[in-house]
Amino acid sequence: MPLLKPHITVDDLSIGWGARILMEHVSFQVERGTVFAILGGSGCGKSSLLRYLIGLEQPQAGRIEIDGVGEPHRYEGIPPFGVLFQSGALFSSMTLAENLALPLTAWTPIRGAVVWELVQAKLNLVGLGAFAEHLPGEISGGMKKRAGIARALMLEANLLFFDEPTAGLDPISAVELDQLILTLSRDLGITMVIVTHELPSIFLVAAQCIVLDLAAKGIVARGDPRKLRDESEIPFVHNFFTRSSPAVSASQGG
Amino acid sequence: MGVAVRTDREGDRASIVPTGSFDLAHATAVVTAVERTEASLGGCRSVNVDLSQLDRIDGAGAVLLARLLDRLDANECATRLVEGRNTNAERLIALYRERRGDRPAPQRSAMSSLDRIGASAAELPGKAYAALDFIGRYAATLPKITAKPDSVDWGSLPRLMQEIGAQALLVTSAANLLVGVIVGFLGVSQLGRFGAVSYVPELVVVAHFRELGPLVTAIVVAGRSGAGLASEIATMQVSEEIDALRSMGFDPLRWLVVPRCLALAATVPLLTWVGDGVALIGGMAATLSITQMTARAYAQATMYAITPAHLVAGLVKSPFLGFAIGLIACCQGLLARGGAAAVGARTTTAVVLAIFSVIVISAVFTFFLVLIGV
Repeated sequence: MPLLKPHITVDDLSIGWGARILMEHVSFQVERGTVFAILGGSGCGKSSLLRYLIGLEQPQAGRIEIDGVGEPHRYEGIPPFGVLFQSGALFSSMTLAENLALPLTAWTPIRGAVVWELVQAKLNLVGLGAFAEHLPGEISGGMKKRAGIARALMLEANLLFFDEPTAGLDPISAVELDQLILTLSRDLGITMVIVTHELPSIFLVAAQCIVLDLAAKGIVARGDPRKLRDESEIPFVHNFFTRSSPAVSASQGG
Repeated sequence: MGVAVRTDREGDRASIVPTGSFDLAHATAVVTAVERTEASLGGCRSVNVDLSQLDRIDGAGAVLLARLLDRLDANECATRLVEGRNTNAERLIALYRERRGDRPAPQRSAMSSLDRIGASAAELPGKAYAALDFIGRYAATLPKITAKPDSVDWGSLPRLMQEIGAQALLVTSAANLLVGVIVGFLGVSQLGRFGAVSYVPELVVVAHFRELGPLVTAIVVAGRSGAGLASEIATMQVSEEIDALRSMGFDPLRWLVVPRCLALAATVPLLTWVGDGVALIGGMAATLSITQMTARAYAQATMYAITPAHLVAGLVKSPFLGFAIGLIACCQGLLARGGAAAVGARTTTAVVLAIFSVIVISAVFTFFLVLIGV
């Protein structure tokens, strides 16, 4: 739907700390209702870029617009997005139900039984209906991530950010989480931005992606990840998608 | 945008038409509208739901509508969505309808205050057992250390002594100075009534060297370094660093706890010693500022008052106080389970227990020293 304005517009963004520039002249757009992946090797600044997108850091230069509103680090009020952090980032002293209820009671006038009804519905949605009264310490890593997704959904945001959602999960849990992401994207029409380097996840869920490289200090490729895998001639991108290392191929090549 | 549910009823058949914005921003209005609709549908056998008039629906609105349909179905009132009118809303509501596999939410019941008192009392034997167990295991590691001295992280001892001992010098000295001033003022005001101001230096020496010096120093160290140690080890415990140590073959008791306890046992007497000296200055300043006594006379009286017995009676217990602080702080840290909240709770408990134990140990020493006449 090219008539709709992009959900996220990043224009000529530079990020870093002081004199240390991590990325410069980064520009991309995320279309509404799509699953968008931010890819790259470890330490290339994927998670840092995410921190700027959700307004935890102030960029050195450039512009980030979410739903036409710029400067996410200055947002006040109900955040226009939900975030799933790498480990779920659930509050350890609260039960899952209390974790999910927190944003509702903080931002809406809803109180009483309705809160728990909404919380229970979200927990059911991610398959944790029976764990409402558990503490985060009592459930597995994959369950924490699903609970984190449920909490990110509580304010009915139409944009979700995921930081390495399937990292550290067994293949079955990982594919279940990918399926959940696809379901949420399809049935709830939510735009998803996923930071990851898990190839199976990327090919399963992402429609568009950007590939970041530490050496290039920015984006080295963009587009459909399947096409990039098959057609890209950039060595880094080719190696990334085919899981090959230049050192290994050089030694094998003789 | 108003929220309403239009209801048309004919006998035991009805059709409902939700209109307006069924979203999180209007959730309270949606709840009221849904409750009113449910009340007006009593006794219905079948209900048609027409979603075509909805302006907006999100997850929250869909949940509330889905629960209405669930409850109607449960009350033997067949619900049917008029299909094809608003596919987005249909899909959302279907997503949140109760599935057979969903277990019902457990009842949320708050503990009464009597229950809470009972529950915390029931936890006491377990806590006492954990503390005794820790002390037992600690005692059992001591012979192992002599057999295998390498299993203790001796290299960290100087750094620990610097961090948890030497860096506390300023705050313990300040506390001792003020206590010296207080004892000086008290002595002048009380002994002065009998014209015995010349005994104030001896009062300061005896009170501070024997009791107040070790106690004040240990309490300040328990608050400062005890809290630091407990939170450090509790954080290591909840972030699996202790497990990592174990997995690499280190015994956390020997590797972490022993050096910390030793560092405290070595530095608390030194801090006490400095504190004793500073307290004498405080007592002297207080006395000279409100009496006619000369500095020379005060200093001489102080020199006469200081005896090896007073000095030893105070310093002999300091290592034990330091050791106890370290043991309690590390024990509480290692017992932490869960996350950030556990770290906070264990740190609080560690400080409270450490201060209390310091006072108890001090009292026990005083009792025995008086008994043997030192």
